[in-house]
Amino acid sequence: MKSFLNSCLERVKADYLEIRYEEVKVVGIHYVGKELEAIGESYGKGGGIRAKSRGGWSFVSFNDLSKLKDYLELATKEAHLIKGEEIKLASLPARNEVISVEVELDPADISLEEKYLLCNRYNKILLSGKEIQTSALRYADIHTTKYFINSEGTYIEQERIDTVLGMRAIARRGDNIQSAHMGIGGVGGYGLVKEKAEQAEETVKRAQGLLDAEPAKGGKYTIIVDPELSGVFAHEAFGHLSEADFLYEDKRLQKIMVLGRVFGPPGLNIIDEPRIKGEGGYYLYDDEGVPSQKTYLIKEGRLSGRLHSRETSAKMGEEITGNARAISYDYPPIVRMSNTYIAAGDKSFEEMIEGVGEGIYVKGFHGGQTNLEMFTFAPEEGYLIKKGRLHHQIRDLNLSGNIFNTLASIEAIGNDLVLFTGPGGCGKGGQSPLPVSTGGPHLEIRDVVVGGK
Amino acid sequence: MMKEILEMAAASAEEAELYRVRSESSEVIFEANRLKSIDSSFEEGIGLRIIKQGKIGFSSFTDLSQPRPLVKAASDSAQFGQKAHFHLPSADGTSSVECYDDSLISLSLEQMVREGRKAIDLILKEAPFLHCEGEVAKIEAEISILNTNGLSHSYKKTSYTFSLGAFLAEEGNFLGIGEGEASVKYHDWSSSVAQRILEAFRLTRKKGSISPGRYPVVFTSKAVPLLLQSLKQGINGKVLQKKISPLLGKIGKPVVSSFIDVFDDALFPFALATSPVDGEGIPSRRTPIIEEGVLKNFIYDLQTAGLMGTESTSNGARGYGSLPSPATSNFIVKEGKVPLQEMVKDIKEGIIVDQVIGSGQGNVLMGEFSVNLDLGYKVENGKIKGRVKDVMVSGNSYTMLNNVLALGSESRFVGTTRTPPIYFKEINVAG
Repeated sequence: MKSFLNSCLERVKADYLEIRYEEVKVVGIHYVGKELEAIGESYGKGGGIRAKSRGGWSFVSFNDLSKLKDYLELATKEAHLIKGEEIKLASLPARNEVISVEVELDPADISLEEKYLLCNRYNKILLSGKEIQTSALRYADIHTTKYFINSEGTYIEQERIDTVLGMRAIARRGDNIQSAHMGIGGVGGYGLVKEKAEQAEETVKRAQGLLDAEPAKGGKYTIIVDPELSGVFAHEAFGHLSEADFLYEDKRLQKIMVLGRVFGPPGLNIIDEPRIKGEGGYYLYDDEGVPSQKTYLIKEGRLSGRLHSRETSAKMGEEITGNARAISYDYPPIVRMSNTYIAAGDKSFEEMIEGVGEGIYVKGFHGGQTNLEMFTFAPEEGYLIKKGRLHHQIRDLNLSGNIFNTLASIEAIGNDLVLFTGPGGCGKGGQSPLPVSTGGPHLEIRDVVVGGK
Repeated sequence: MMKEILEMAAASAEEAELYRVRSESSEVIFEANRLKSIDSSFEEGIGLRIIKQGKIGFSSFTDLSQPRPLVKAASDSAQFGQKAHFHLPSADGTSSVECYDDSLISLSLEQMVREGRKAIDLILKEAPFLHCEGEVAKIEAEISILNTNGLSHSYKKTSYTFSLGAFLAEEGNFLGIGEGEASVKYHDWSSSVAQRILEAFRLTRKKGSISPGRYPVVFTSKAVPLLLQSLKQGINGKVLQKKISPLLGKIGKPVVSSFIDVFDDALFPFALATSPVDGEGIPSRRTPIIEEGVLKNFIYDLQTAGLMGTESTSNGARGYGSLPSPATSNFIVKEGKVPLQEMVKDIKEGIIVDQVIGSGQGNVLMGEFSVNLDLGYKVENGKIKGRVKDVMVSGNSYTMLNNVLALGSESRFVGTTRTPPIYFKEINVAG
């Protein structure tokens, strides 16, 4: 592959050129209720070319590798249609790397029948509860080989195996329908999804429990978030704002996001760290061929770094971080997070609940979004806290806050960091889902708006 | 080539079907007020569905030159697959539709660049401190369906999208306005999309404030799809089959206010989801969903219809990489008689909702929603006072659709949903 890509690349002239090519094999199993909606293997092969002229880019994606030379010419031609201020890329030494995958229990060595039987067993558990109406289960193992070559002499081949499982139980009592979800897996082998019957049982219990919950009452509350939501909070309420492509061309936003600005209490540290083995956001080289690294976004409460591509790094004169990622060959790399988490503090969960007095304890992830100033996240479960103790369960909550105020409203940081990955992922610029992990310890936050009746 | 693959698959199965998509697209992308990238894509892929020993098997490939692994994977899949409750259709005609525009093929990249540039210049002329980004894209796709029961169909489809966003970061007051148009046909949208952004921008220059409570509310066409998510799930035959639709058993009964009519219409001229046949080769049609507030139909693909003992409504939606599943095509809410200005005039104290964040989180199936107001306005004594932010709006979309005060007189497409603005009795505001 290397010599073929190289021979095509050599014939074309551009300021900068890169070819990414990917081969993907996916085994998927999908249950909805007792019906097996889909099972089997699919294959995809395709590539993406980026060409840069002095002042513009072109991105060309394709499936048919035999036409690569035509596509390379088209990309350089399109890039040259753009005349504008010069685009610079942060410089990078050329590299040659071939990274093969190492997993225990390669899913390729497990028969489709064994995978089917495992999913069938979990699905039966999901459907086993008294008031369970239906279920949804998605299993996938994905084997990806990525080839990267650019006109600066870098060649990187990376192989990766993801194994993921998502389980949902949907309970119904009359008009009241509630669901609970569990996501497991990440970069790794079949072992990640084996022996998860207990998690399936627990998902059923949560869905049934929600039937007895009362609808949330809207208003401002002090909340305690569990580690799973703490991670969503790190991702939505801050992570996206630290992606440099939002601000590298925007002087006003750069003034607002100036390094050193105080965002939170001194004990607050938010980190993006790709090289955590097994997590969804694990990678050694990003999709521009830049080695990944750990970046502190917030250090002791102050803005201390942001996530860059080669272009945003050069434009802002900040250190390159290796965060340009694409969900697949048919998309260009853009600035993305990897494994983003809030570092552990010193409070125990029990101290936190007692300390709060009145408030809401929220758990589990149902969704989240941001517009860079406001964020929302929806927990799966909520409990009223009264007189320092967990009271009755509430449901249908969605929480919202202002990024700039809410981080400063963190009152306590727990000592119990946990990272979560799963079959979902992050969406940005039409690219979704990108595998990421998020995590944190329990957090206590003041003045969070809860939507509700 | 497709015939050979089909024959190979048919050798070991009772029925087989190939679904192929080939598409070419060009896109010009603006960032930070300037032309940034010109992109193209050339995609192709093929999905093979078989019925073997009464069970469904499926696999998909992007590489058509290697059919053997595709056939084997589909066959392996059928060992475990769901029992088929249908037969693949034979050729029984197609619906005549308008889903292709010749003038789009000859549309040059230079012209797409000029129109994007023009829209951004219009915005910057009035508001030079805004940061604009935009995408102008054209796509041509060819879809082919071939099965062993004699169906062989191929059609071409185009689409053209023009979308623009304007962003302003001020300390404590971020603003993002997004507007766009999408259709099968080419049209110069530059002025109208720029004008819509500027109108919204002018309204945001003043601030409004609102205290928590219940207020009358107008959802703009852009915001109405948030409230239709639950209805779209509720009428889905698959959701019905799993017995989790709140609309179960409601056919023939009123489910929303009596002056609301809703259709699923894959025949709508030049709309994004318009096509002669659905993903299984069933001729497209217009299906009444709600007439005068009364639920008329659920939507089905072949398998779901078979399981439910009914007929497909031609709603088998798919890409090449997946089995068909019921989904709405063009979803049309019929317009009413009241202009947007009249709705606003009627409000003593209330809000207009235009953009939200956090949609689709929470219990969508049951109609529950609770979202942050990303772009919305305060109305006092019949006049728009200014932008309201830092609040959440929440409610139940079924309850709201049962408390409609007026339907707007002008509809427009937002993606594949065509709707007028809608005036509701109340929404809950927290913050």
